[in-house]
Amino acid sequence: MKSHTRPDERLRAYFLLVLPAVTIYFAVIAFPTIFSITLSLTDYSGGIVFGDRADWSFVGFKHYFRMFRDQYFWIAFKNNIWIMLMSLFIQIPLGFTLAYTIFRKLIVGREFFQTIIYMPTIISCIVVAVLWQTFFSPYGPITDFMRLFNPLWENNLANDPNLAILPVLFVMVWYYTGMYLIIFLANLQKIDSQILEAAQIDGANERQMLFNIILPALSGVVVVTAILAISGSLKSFDLIFAMTSGNPARRTSVLALYMYDNAFKGSPDYPLANAISTFMVAVSFALILVTKKLENRFGGKE
Amino acid sequence: MGFKYGRLGAKPTAGALIGRTILVLILLTFTVMTIYPILWLIQSSLKTTQEFQMNRIGLPIEPTLSNYPLAWKIGGFTSLFLNSILYTSISTIAIVFLSLSASFAFAKIRMRATKFLYQSFVVGILLTLQSIMVPLFLLTNMVGLYDTRIGILIPYIGLGLPMGVYLGTEFIRSIPDSLIESARLEGAGYIRIFISIIFPISVPVAVTLAIMTVTSIWNEFMLINILASKNSIKSLPVGILKFSGALSSDYGKQFAALVIGMLPMLIFYLIFRKHIQRGLAAGAVKG
Amino acid sequence: MKRFVLVLMVLAMVAPLFAVGEKEVSGKVTLRVLHYADATTPGYSVEKKIWDDFRAANPDIELVYEELFNEPFHQKVEAYAAAGKLPDVMYMWPSGRSSTLYNKKLIKDLSPLLASTKGKYLPTTVVPQMGSIIGELPLTITNSHMVYLNTKLLAQLGLSEPKTYADLVAMVPVAKAAGIEVVLMAAKDDWVMQSCLFSMISGRVAGDKFIDDVLAGKAKFTDKPFVDALTVVANMVKDGVMPKNVLQISYGEGPALFAAGKCLMYIDGDWRAGAFITDPTTGKALISPTDQKNVKLTVFPAIPGEKISGSSSTIVGTGFGMNANIKSGSKEEAAAWKLISYMTSPAVAKQRLETGAFGRASWIGVTSDKLEPIQQANAAFSAAAGSYVLDGVLDAKVYTPINIGLQEIVLGIKTPAQVAADTQKAFEDWKANK
Repeated sequence: MKSHTRPDERLRAYFLLVLPAVTIYFAVIAFPTIFSITLSLTDYSGGIVFGDRADWSFVGFKHYFRMFRDQYFWIAFKNNIWIMLMSLFIQIPLGFTLAYTIFRKLIVGREFFQTIIYMPTIISCIVVAVLWQTFFSPYGPITDFMRLFNPLWENNLANDPNLAILPVLFVMVWYYTGMYLIIFLANLQKIDSQILEAAQIDGANERQMLFNIILPALSGVVVVTAILAISGSLKSFDLIFAMTSGNPARRTSVLALYMYDNAFKGSPDYPLANAISTFMVAVSFALILVTKKLENRFGGKE
Repeated sequence: MGFKYGRLGAKPTAGALIGRTILVLILLTFTVMTIYPILWLIQSSLKTTQEFQMNRIGLPIEPTLSNYPLAWKIGGFTSLFLNSILYTSISTIAIVFLSLSASFAFAKIRMRATKFLYQSFVVGILLTLQSIMVPLFLLTNMVGLYDTRIGILIPYIGLGLPMGVYLGTEFIRSIPDSLIESARLEGAGYIRIFISIIFPISVPVAVTLAIMTVTSIWNEFMLINILASKNSIKSLPVGILKFSGALSSDYGKQFAALVIGMLPMLIFYLIFRKHIQRGLAAGAVKG
Repeated sequence: MKRFVLVLMVLAMVAPLFAVGEKEVSGKVTLRVLHYADATTPGYSVEKKIWDDFRAANPDIELVYEELFNEPFHQKVEAYAAAGKLPDVMYMWPSGRSSTLYNKKLIKDLSPLLASTKGKYLPTTVVPQMGSIIGELPLTITNSHMVYLNTKLLAQLGLSEPKTYADLVAMVPVAKAAGIEVVLMAAKDDWVMQSCLFSMISGRVAGDKFIDDVLAGKAKFTDKPFVDALTVVANMVKDGVMPKNVLQISYGEGPALFAAGKCLMYIDGDWRAGAFITDPTTGKALISPTDQKNVKLTVFPAIPGEKISGSSSTIVGTGFGMNANIKSGSKEEAAAWKLISYMTSPAVAKQRLETGAFGRASWIGVTSDKLEPIQQANAAFSAAAGSYVLDGVLDAKVYTPINIGLQEIVLGIKTPAQVAADTQKAFEDWKANK
């Protein structure tokens, strides 16, 4: 450890620092993932995986074609897209607006609101699900409330197959916006206060400060939140699983749930389930590449 | 901050006033939507199942605490609770420590392997737990770690690493190189630099990571349900899940169980909330 | 550096402590058992006692006991099966959710062991299950369709018990005027409508023989009988007998709605009688024993075009099965059989019956005078005939489109003919892949 230029010390240090994380990561995530992609190309249906008595053979992209032919796959995928659009165009702007409000001290009780908005993430999905089922039930308080105004009101919120996902989206906005708020807030607080001060002395109004100073400074953050939103929405599972399990008639299903239904319900269809998860990863990977490209093209201008 | 941003004192225009009102309304909606479920959960846990079924929204007519001891006893919560604490604390410490050490190497030691290794961690953020559950189960069995505490801890640690390495690397990259170079000139090795310089600076990101890990592992139930079969090594969410099956009808005890599971997190969150926002993005993103 | 190494060393030393498995006790037979139990039902304490009694009576049998409920149970079984680590004795379904166990021949045929018990079990319960073996010894025989009729409410509205579907339709305006529904189900989860309503309709309108023919390739789901059966459900919604909203009622909410008088008829499985009785831990009941006399247990009234009447859909209940790896004639087999038959014995069946969440015991003549009225009615209830529960005879790949399709019919986004076509297509795909 004497000389800091000796390359073997560098190598040894690098090795020591990286090895535990890399080993665990490859064992727990990378290997099972490769395994899962491989399974998606086989006809494995439970049983022995390795050795002479191995119980499977390669069948090519058969399961992917099965997946693309299934109408419920497309319904689930469409819902993922809705969730993604909602995250990108409601959660992120809302998270930013709220963070901005708190940052610019436009309201009183900032600390309180900050605490509240991040709090949902610690409430178990199960609580959220039972509560919302109770509220949205045809015999729940929302129905009672609406009937105060219109005694003949029928609770058809989830009976329109195209709108059934709406209550779920609504809950998602509440459940996850806090994370974006916190990210924006933390980065807003890193903006040099002197620049803002100078701008204000120069007579810049709120809007000019927002568009000319603050937003440009945050362009990188927007990209990162967009990436989080894209991967998060393609992965979304827990909340929907607990709230609707994809019903009515799979109209609120998402890819992860569609996969779960195939892997763990009834007679398991592992290859199809693995084809779905491979598809999910591929799509979010592609979308993230596109986001990065857009960043390079447009973000660089500022 | 010496500079006063205060806009409250400035004379607002009509438009700004409307905008501000809308914002306050949104914030109040969030507040109600967050506090109400918690209060509702607590009040529901004071109802018997039969009362809950007939009176889901109102206050309990005959409040009872009996759900708590019953849920605790039936669920066998003593050992579940201890296990949850064990899994959460060990995984959190390991994730923070391993992530930061790898992050330091990725961010500050030039190696050709870094690009590939770092990218593969980032891809890991995109993966869903469901997609690796079956292979992971087979693997755990093969290496003989099935139904052991270590066989649960290792996957927990592995699942937390991608986010940890990502946040850590981005953060440590923003630390000036000069800090490390001067330490190198004084003859410090990389490991020493990591422990005495990088780690202390990285506290905000470590705290963030810790908070994210603690809440997610405390509530995790899919993986442990697959990887554990002995009751003696299961965790709290598995016990709570016992009360919330599709065919289950015992809401009272289910809610009591949920309160038992939520309280430690609520306390934890209220204590550490200040650190969250300081850390969550401290370096997460280069502003 | 030193500290870092020290931490690693401590970790390395502590690690094996966690990995120590359970040691086998010599001289005893050890059985690994996987049970399906809901810790939240009032009957759970009874369930615990049943197992404790067995342990006490059999000190030579060591049970390594594991218990799960609902989806986690099924996930675990699939995972065990995939890894070749099935327990010695496990809770099982006669088909459906346990298909993997039958298909992969992971369980033993109990028929040879049953030879010594002739005349003890109801003949309808000890019949071949999936794969033509008796994989599990059923604890009960279950009616997956049962109508809970509120006779008090009927009388208040000046109505009498409906005998035909037309009677139901005639009740609609009266019920609507009173602000209630004729029929409610808790059909948010998609299995409910198929299991608790449509299987009965299919049995009456299409018939079990038709389903057998479809499976044998001699008929198609797109044929008239099956489409007619689906049309009955479509008509129930169209005629206002059952509101679309049933798809928004979660399964846990159903019994309370019936107890609160929101409907005249509540359709569910016979197991749901247990939801109304007194909970021993709280002393409360959803419907008090006195009021339970106002609940009549029956089946759906006559449907136009039905081939059999008064039928329910029935399925032999769940029970315990034995790992195929246990050698015939071994002491493990003797111990496992002891446990499996103990679980169906009259003494155990009686205790379970008294919990209420239990249909008719597979052992002949088990009753109890300790039951509340609704449970007595349930134990005494017998439908005129029983037909297939579809998820019991069809593969998940085939009944899933029916489950979803029924919801689509109720929502009005698919016609019965379209759902029949989806089902037939799924059936053909499944057959081609088998």
